[in-house]
Amino acid sequence: MTHPAPIPFTVIGGFLGSGKTSLLNHLLSHAQGRRLYAMVNDFGALNIDAELIAAQNGNQIALSNGCVCCSIGDDFTRALFALLQEDPLPEHIIVEASGVADPARIAAFAAVDKQLRLNGIATLVDCTAYQAHAHDPHLKENYDRQIDAAHVLLLSKTDLVSRQEIDALHDILATRRRDVARLEITHGNAPLEIILGLDGDVKSTTPLPVNNHGLETWSTHMTPSLSRRDVAAKTQSLAPHVLRAKGVLSDSEGAYIIHYAAGRTSIEPFDGAASGHFVLIGTPDLPDANTLAALFQ
Amino acid sequence: MSIIYQAKSIRTMNPHMPQATHIAVRDGHILAVGTADDIAIWQSAWGDMEINTDFADKTLLPGFVEGHSHMMEGMFWNYHYVGFYDREGPDGTIWPGLKSIDAVVDRLKEINATRENPSEPLIAWGFDPIYFTDRRMDMADLDAVSQDCPVIVLHASLHILNANHFVMQAAGVSENDNSEFIRRDENGKICGEFLGQMGMFMAMRTTNIDLLALGSSPETLVNFANVARQTGVTTATDLANPMPEGSEEPMLAQVNQDDFPMRLVVAYQGTSGTPEEGVARMRQLSERESDKLRFSLVKLVADGSIQGFSARLKWPGYFNGAPNGLWYIEPQRLRDYLKAFTEAGMQVHVHTNGDECTHVALDAIEEALRAHPWPDHRHTLQHCQMASRSDFRRMKNMGVGVNLFANHLYYWGDAHRTITMGPERAARLDDCGGALAEGVPLAIHSDAPVTALAPLFTAWCAVNRLSSGGVTLGGEAEKISVEQALYAITMGGAYSLKMDGEIGSLEVGKRADMAILADDPIEVGAAGLKDIKVIGTMVDGIVHLNQGRA
Repeated sequence: MTHPAPIPFTVIGGFLGSGKTSLLNHLLSHAQGRRLYAMVNDFGALNIDAELIAAQNGNQIALSNGCVCCSIGDDFTRALFALLQEDPLPEHIIVEASGVADPARIAAFAAVDKQLRLNGIATLVDCTAYQAHAHDPHLKENYDRQIDAAHVLLLSKTDLVSRQEIDALHDILATRRRDVARLEITHGNAPLEIILGLDGDVKSTTPLPVNNHGLETWSTHMTPSLSRRDVAAKTQSLAPHVLRAKGVLSDSEGAYIIHYAAGRTSIEPFDGAASGHFVLIGTPDLPDANTLAALFQ
Repeated sequence: MSIIYQAKSIRTMNPHMPQATHIAVRDGHILAVGTADDIAIWQSAWGDMEINTDFADKTLLPGFVEGHSHMMEGMFWNYHYVGFYDREGPDGTIWPGLKSIDAVVDRLKEINATRENPSEPLIAWGFDPIYFTDRRMDMADLDAVSQDCPVIVLHASLHILNANHFVMQAAGVSENDNSEFIRRDENGKICGEFLGQMGMFMAMRTTNIDLLALGSSPETLVNFANVARQTGVTTATDLANPMPEGSEEPMLAQVNQDDFPMRLVVAYQGTSGTPEEGVARMRQLSERESDKLRFSLVKLVADGSIQGFSARLKWPGYFNGAPNGLWYIEPQRLRDYLKAFTEAGMQVHVHTNGDECTHVALDAIEEALRAHPWPDHRHTLQHCQMASRSDFRRMKNMGVGVNLFANHLYYWGDAHRTITMGPERAARLDDCGGALAEGVPLAIHSDAPVTALAPLFTAWCAVNRLSSGGVTLGGEAEKISVEQALYAITMGGAYSLKMDGEIGSLEVGKRADMAILADDPIEVGAAGLKDIKVIGTMVDGIVHLNQGRA
């Protein structure tokens, strides 16, 4: 018996020019075997290297690494419907929200449709244009909505402004969203584990190298003594310092996969033997390894 | 072959000869317009001509031009109409308005009992909860229709739908689901209503049908044209269509047929690709145009709707305190698209509803015209419902036309007075009088299928400004005369489409496109405009009679 696992659904928000295209390019070119399906507003703008294009068909471009880009066109509803009719289904859907979209509204599709699992909203904040955007009389609320919807904020173009300016922006964003992690990026180089989650081969899940951005990783091998509800509750208790968690575990009810993303845990049944691996990624404020080991004992 | 049609009265919209009784038609064009006294002169020049008296007791007008409608009107007639107001289907059947939720349920039960395959999804459209203040439709209502198939009732707004338990179960929606797009009743129970795009999405997911896929199928085109014919429309618009590669060919095959009773102007949905792609696609399409099918416009949508609280408003915003609406395109991208299409010499119609949006759209047009001056661009603002006199003055100065959504005055006038705009601003809603007073070229529209396609009704709305609740919005300054309204639904529409040289009035050399009416609207006057019977139309000289309307 197989359980069709829900498809992780990630939304990228941010204004025109905030670096969404760079981020998408980064994700697509470092997919590491994930078959990502990116729904974008304009794939001309992606400027994909011709050598990477395996096939182009109407509003879809298939890349040689197994990823696919499709243009959303004018009707997101129909585009997503068509995508979910495809065979095989995508392994991971990334949606580029337009600069005036409310990412929360797009994320809502994943909250309702049982075939999708909301994997988070990453909103880009352009360090070079923050003042202009935040004070544009026509766009101000739009800007606020995008920041309010985010599960992680990505400060982009940090190489183009001074340290002082970046710190000032951190302060402003921290005032508005105290509970949300902020990462600094340039040229879209956000860590994939944060944007896409820990989606590698679940049987051999090992801590992924997270060298930049000051993130902390912790992993353990868990015995089946804790119930899935306990694992979920304990993971949840680490918010807002935990950004991602994933485990392939088992308890008295059987094997399961647990994800922590977008502020909530989701649990799916797992067919096969659980490896017992459990991984957390968090901010530097994540408790130390000993504390975590004690928590999940 | 020339035919002289004799009528009781011909209202030409041509100032040289406003009224006539005889019109000569040859090769699909108007050869001459005049009176019985002219027949001898015509025949001395052109030989014997047949005199047709079929319409001797009828009134002829230029065929009506609907400058803002959607082909989707034709698609919805594949589903079942359950709206509050009477509506005429493409086959001439008048579906009586349903005045209670129970009446809607009874209609659906009837349909379900008589259809061939009761396990197929049952889809209805046109439902408007605004008229039922005692209660809302809930899941039990639709479960009473059927528990064995998806039952889906699309609201008139197209942004909300009701579904039965079957749909909720197929969608896996349970009481644990918390989403602002799943409505709960006053007891906190899920009641079968999906909001926003979510509704259409879940309807498609649970039926496994792309409910909008029939958008430009041959049946849809025929239905659309037949609805148009019933109401005297000879040129209608599809505003807008993404026109993917190759989609024009099946449309041409259908529309170019002689018995297809309508001319169709398709606006390319400007944001379907990049500005460069749009310009290239428009060039391709323009080479495929025919007499009856045109691809001469680009449409851009800049904000949402007032009744959906998604229109962008200036201070003080929504009367009920709802937060400001949504941009459907970034103002910066609106400017980029307008510049590209203006540079390429392509006319753009911009959907704006709120006054902030109108202002931003005019800024964008101004910027495009500074960069690429174009004296007769005729860029047009569509809906533009909250424009102020100062907006109209800017439009006049820039050569921008307007197509106002006059039907809103009737259908949502009361809601605009009490909920969205408040009485003072609602008085200037769709200010046709203001537009004309400031010298802005005016058309008026139905936005079918949002409201029924019926230009005489639209004219009635602009003339009387009466809401369905019986309140008059604004006064003499905002109203227009019967003559002005008739001009707006003929020449006004034609001008907005840059077709005023070939349609919109009855004069020598123009296309023989006419609306055949039982009575003369000028004689009938303001109060009765909407009730005038339409006998049929003539398109390129070919008569298309409505069923049962001899």
